[in-house]
Amino acid sequence: MIEAKQLIEMNNHRRTELTPENEKYYTDFLLYIRLHLFLSEQQSEEILMEILDHLIEGQKEGKTAAEIFGNNPKRFADELIEQLPRENRKNLAKFFSEIALNLLGYFLLIRGVIIFGASFFKDVNITVYPVKTSIIVFLIVGFSLFGVRYIFKIINHSLFKEKNSSLSDSVKAGLYGAVSMGIVIAAGYFLPGIGPSMDFAWYTSLISGAVIWGVSRILKNV
Amino acid sequence: MSLRSQLLKGILDGCVLSVIEKEPAYGYELSKKLQQAGLKDVSEGTIYPVLLRLQKNGYIRGEMQPSASGPNRKYYFLTEAGMKVLNEIAKEWEQIVIPANSLLKRGNSND
Repeated sequence: MIEAKQLIEMNNHRRTELTPENEKYYTDFLLYIRLHLFLSEQQSEEILMEILDHLIEGQKEGKTAAEIFGNNPKRFADELIEQLPRENRKNLAKFFSEIALNLLGYFLLIRGVIIFGASFFKDVNITVYPVKTSIIVFLIVGFSLFGVRYIFKIINHSLFKEKNSSLSDSVKAGLYGAVSMGIVIAAGYFLPGIGPSMDFAWYTSLISGAVIWGVSRILKNV
Repeated sequence: MSLRSQLLKGILDGCVLSVIEKEPAYGYELSKKLQQAGLKDVSEGTIYPVLLRLQKNGYIRGEMQPSASGPNRKYYFLTEAGMKVLNEIAKEWEQIVIPANSLLKRGNSND
């Protein structure tokens, strides 16, 4: 069996053989299917590859994507999605924990580096309040999940259209990022340190960040 | 689902299965064979949802294999369950087509 990762690479490579018109049709179709995160990645990539192969063959005979797969690529994709199996829970859990650990790892690494650097110039407060930190983490996770959904929605809306409204889409996504980032920073700044506290030195941050980042990499490659 | 689309679905399932029964095929090849058999109105893309459904039901299985003309292709093979279903479809088809044919056939004089 050829794995999904290899199929994606092959797909990227073979897609360059398409004419601009067919590529637009196929790329929208591909994005639309890949945006359905809960579908089996393996099965999705296999069917995407089959459709691409078919399109390339048809193109040689002078056919367009619309002639082969119909004028309504969204409906065609929906018919396929209806039949595609869901991704199994284990893979989904792996996927989401990999992303979460990756973010947490980077966060701790960057925190370690910043505190280490800043400590040359002034006294840095390394006291951490678990309650306050939990609230901020909760905000970050919430904004990220909602942001993914929001951005997926924006992309979904942009597909299968004659004209791309990429500028207004970018503004919307950017605005979302800026506002949510602002709220997280404000929360860090204004929330009072309540409950228990502990010291979290730069090297502890750096080491734990590296370990967590490493775990996320291992998860990604198994 | 309407009776009409259900009927068409069953017929297409049977056609796809019987092409695969003769020889394992990949998507593009399969659509060519169906068209060569005279099913010109079946749009080429139509077979893919059918293939996925037949696969999900365990009637066929897909396997990536190197092809003569270069890239790896996903070839579809008929399973034992698929063979059984194909026989059933073929039997039902015969039970329908002969009486239906005599009822629905329009003589040239009526055209």
